[in-house]
Amino acid sequence: MNINSLQRGSYTIRELMAVWISRQIRDGEVVGGGGGTLAIARAGQLLAHLHHGPNMRFLSLVSMNLHCCPSLSLSLFESVADWRVSRWAEAYWIPSEIYDQLRLFRKRVLFISGIQIDKYGNVNLFGMGNDFRNLDFRGPGGLGAATGTTYAGRYYIFAASHTPRVFVERCDYVTCVGWGEGGKEARRKLGLPGGGPVACITSLCIMDFDEETKRMRLKSVHPGVSISEVIENTGFRLMIPPNVEETEPPTIEELEILRTKVDPEGLLRGSD
Amino acid sequence: MGWKEAELMRRRNVIFGEEEVSCWIEDGMSVGIGGMLLSSHPMVILRQIIRRKVKKLRVVGSILSSLDIDLLIGAGCVSQVVAPYVGAESLAPIGPLFRKAAENGEIEVWECDEGMYFAGLRAAAQMLPFMPWRGGVGTSYPEVNPDLKLFQDPIRGETLLAVPAIHLDVVLVHAAISDPYGNVQHVGTGFGDRALCRAAEKVIAQVEKIVPNEEIKKYPQNTSIIADAVIRSPFGAHPFASPGFYVEDRIHLNEYLFAANALAKEGDERPFADYLKKYVTEPETHFDYLERIGVRRLFSLNEF
Repeated sequence: MNINSLQRGSYTIRELMAVWISRQIRDGEVVGGGGGTLAIARAGQLLAHLHHGPNMRFLSLVSMNLHCCPSLSLSLFESVADWRVSRWAEAYWIPSEIYDQLRLFRKRVLFISGIQIDKYGNVNLFGMGNDFRNLDFRGPGGLGAATGTTYAGRYYIFAASHTPRVFVERCDYVTCVGWGEGGKEARRKLGLPGGGPVACITSLCIMDFDEETKRMRLKSVHPGVSISEVIENTGFRLMIPPNVEETEPPTIEELEILRTKVDPEGLLRGSD
Repeated sequence: MGWKEAELMRRRNVIFGEEEVSCWIEDGMSVGIGGMLLSSHPMVILRQIIRRKVKKLRVVGSILSSLDIDLLIGAGCVSQVVAPYVGAESLAPIGPLFRKAAENGEIEVWECDEGMYFAGLRAAAQMLPFMPWRGGVGTSYPEVNPDLKLFQDPIRGETLLAVPAIHLDVVLVHAAISDPYGNVQHVGTGFGDRALCRAAEKVIAQVEKIVPNEEIKKYPQNTSIIADAVIRSPFGAHPFASPGFYVEDRIHLNEYLFAANALAKEGDERPFADYLKKYVTEPETHFDYLERIGVRRLFSLNEF
């Protein structure tokens, strides 16, 4: 993809994605995770906190329940394991204790990524290939995603690139169940307490799920992206409703907070 | 009491040398490695394991493991990896030699997510055969890791996942301080080190500094681990960070990644062989290693 085509007016697609993520988070909710590879999601969370979420809590992988503060910028600590982030901690627990308090996950909003994503929002992080002992492509592994998506109040799927290789008819392996084989009862039948995936954001568009079938459905396309571009880059038959909006661009206020406080170094303004 | 009896009653010191204690690790053992991502991996002992050419280890990494395990795999010490992630975040989303070995079937990956990882360690700590877990129900986990078994719970009849106890012969961690008796204290949370150590038969802790027992007694609430052996290891997590002491050495990690990527992606064995020779096999001890890295580099890794 041509980098220049990602520039839409005065903001980048990565900034647009961060702003969209920020708008999904409500005040008082619990967010967390996200390392260097998920800079966009991390930026969206920090932006939400500074823009409209004074009561948000940030559950860091270094295990602090953090009420973050305005000086916590995106590039400050590149490693998730950097303990210096604890200077903003209000609580402190060891990582295994996070999994001793899964009730907290009901208030949690999660953002996950995948090497394959199917039409029911199931996600593969393991790898691609028929033989698991001899994969064609080994993915990063499951991290905490299976447990997180089982319990999180709701979650969002995030794809930095939108290609038919990522959006597939069926995942080779399922690391996180979204809507399984489809239907709004899919998760209840499996006994999964969390609310499941509600939307998917990519470099081209926003997709949500049909209320009954739980199939992925186009919701909005980013400025300058055509519906046919999305269809061509999706490996399954995407539901296209009669009205597809354009993803709402960032407001001046959001961009100002994003650029001056969250991302002063411009990580999201660089190329993908 | 005579002087001989008095001598016998003296409290036992558990400070060991790195060469001596690395002999505790034998071929085929299940070995836990502490730390997380770019922080706190017990590199002094890991380099000794490579020098001693230990083989066929079942390596149980930290919840989020890093290039510590990638290095062990590249050196040919590993047959199975238990870890929800092996990588170096933005430096390398997936460990290059981990990926290559997993794709070629040279190592087996015992797939688990962070929740299952702690459930398995807890089962081992509590000497139970398994721990029930819900995360992973409905996924491919039981398919890609047949040790994880779905079962009907006898109380409410729900379908859950049985995560077997993750047995550990020995656990290796890197922490801030210890007294001579193995009372170890971390700076920061210590990541998953406590959970690993509770599941272990034996614990070996490298520490930045060995302090008198009085220092430990000042803040006993900070004692996180009781170790069977302690090794004095200043800069012992290098090239990774050690909370309270130094940050990760990104220049060195990139030097490692250059060598590992040449092997993994281009099949060029030379840079990785050179890396191993320069930083692992030629320096015989930790202090020889630190001399290779150099004081200027070491003292540039400040947290402030």
